[in-house]
Amino acid sequence: MATETGERTEAGETEPDYPGADRLLDHRRVERILRGSLYAVAGLLLAFLWVPLGIMITLSFAQNPVTLFPFEGLTLANYQLALASESMRQSLVGSLTIASVAASIATVLGVLASFALTRYRFKFRELYRTFGIIPMVVPGIILGVALRIYFQSLLDVLPGFTTVVLAHSLYGLPFVILIVTARLYTFDESLEEAARDLGADPITTFRDVTFPVIAPAIGAGFLFAWIRSFEDYIRALFLAGPNTDVLTIWMFSRIKQLDAPELNAVSSLIVFGVAVALAVAMNYGNVTGYVAGTVAEDEEN
Amino acid sequence: MAVGDPEETNRAAVVRLLSTRYGSLGITTGPALLWIAALLLAPLTFMVVVSFLEVSPISYEIIYEPTLANYEGLFDATPWWDTPFFTALWLSYGIATVTTLLCLTLAFPLAYLLARRGGRTFKIIIFLVLLPFFTMYLVRAYSWVLMFGPGGVINSTLIGVGLTDGPIELFNYGIPAIVVGLTHAYFPYMLLTLYASLDGLDFSLIEAARDLGASRVDVVRDHVVPLTLPGIIGGSLFVFVPSVGAFITPRFLGQGKVQMIGMLIESRVVGTYSIGYASAASMFVLVSIIGAMVVAFRYVTIEDLGGG
Repeated sequence: MATETGERTEAGETEPDYPGADRLLDHRRVERILRGSLYAVAGLLLAFLWVPLGIMITLSFAQNPVTLFPFEGLTLANYQLALASESMRQSLVGSLTIASVAASIATVLGVLASFALTRYRFKFRELYRTFGIIPMVVPGIILGVALRIYFQSLLDVLPGFTTVVLAHSLYGLPFVILIVTARLYTFDESLEEAARDLGADPITTFRDVTFPVIAPAIGAGFLFAWIRSFEDYIRALFLAGPNTDVLTIWMFSRIKQLDAPELNAVSSLIVFGVAVALAVAMNYGNVTGYVAGTVAEDEEN
Repeated sequence: MAVGDPEETNRAAVVRLLSTRYGSLGITTGPALLWIAALLLAPLTFMVVVSFLEVSPISYEIIYEPTLANYEGLFDATPWWDTPFFTALWLSYGIATVTTLLCLTLAFPLAYLLARRGGRTFKIIIFLVLLPFFTMYLVRAYSWVLMFGPGGVINSTLIGVGLTDGPIELFNYGIPAIVVGLTHAYFPYMLLTLYASLDGLDFSLIEAARDLGASRVDVVRDHVVPLTLPGIIGGSLFVFVPSVGAFITPRFLGQGKVQMIGMLIESRVVGTYSIGYASAASMFVLVSIIGAMVVAFRYVTIEDLGGG
């Protein structure tokens, strides 16, 4: 807390603390300096976020894939090498399958739970909500180890595809609950009442009235759960069997060997894929709202 | 009760169930409750139990007799704090604290800018922030593996440009590299949580305070910080908790020189399946995280954490 006050103090030092002094130092100039330094800080931060990724993408096209100096020319060979790798393709398919199944389960459970949380008053509702969110907060290493011990030593279930899917479906649940409950809180229930007054049963009401309205939120929740599963390494490490194909596990073993040519290409492809998906999603819906949780206010505007 | 097709009667049964209070409550709460009980509560409870049991190192069978041996094993050195466990635990807290403070300092100005600016600037900045955020964690950690190291991009560039003769230790793998990697990884969590609370801030309040003669420092201290406190605490928790349990970042950016608690637990489970030791060690992480959350929940609700 003290730190960011300090940060602001530093910026504020160019300006005297008493109002009368504004006449001594031109008020507009102070504003300009402050705004300039704010933009400068923002620029530096974006550089911090982007430089390593930018360099990695550059290296993916470089003949010397480890570092910029000495520069030996551009090539597409790294991409050919990565795409030709059978093990890479297998693990990619494995991860896509795991993420899709796990996110689907998380979405069904999460949507049902969201209805319970927003529509009914029941005992232990707050407790239920808290436990619905905890899987997101428990560190991956703890959840991974706990589930591994539980499956292997208590239930005698060997690690494999199913255990990874179960772990990831639990991990994805909070993201669905958070996003869908936020949407349901602002849902106009009189629409449902109108449908019921006109003779629709609960199933028809849900299918024709409620679902179309909350579908974007459900989609966003699914997407979040999907991404969490797809990028997870630590839970998959403990819950995948020797024959479970997971992309992050494949990548991890390559990073360990510092196998830069393939990795740079695969990693860059992931960045490109995310960039396209994000650009599309941002044009269609309010991604920021879903991420930062300001969706309710924004949609009313 | 006409003889309809079976699908229609099933549907009628579901509708009847949904129109009773207990039926609808059971259908909506039940599945997630089952998942939470079977995949969260049961495993964590079993972990607590295992931490008090002995596990045969040969057959990996659990011997169901209560013992404190696992906990004693965490501190079996003279002096008692000189064990790999204790060293790793303190190092993890230290690194997580520095990372959290760094994220908070860096994210506040940017979150403020985002909350004040709309339109095009906002869209471009938020895209540039969200893209790394949605990019695979492993990819981001790997991009820093390329940057750091004696022959990494930073050092080889400095040497190539002629600023230094040999690799600089600061840019080698180690604790500074881990802090940078973790900050890069969790910075967006802090930024988005702070932005969410700053976005709800009524900026006319700030203008009013300024008009009444408050300095910028006063305004930040008396209005901005107290009003965004849930965001500050929520964001800090979002950075601190995963940083304590981090595994990938210290594994690659420490390159064997640094052992954080996540790596220690992983090595005991994957390496030797010493689940007693690993469970006992996990308890310390779990309890301290619950402690941090209990403290945080005095100021925020769990929805603030998720941004919901």
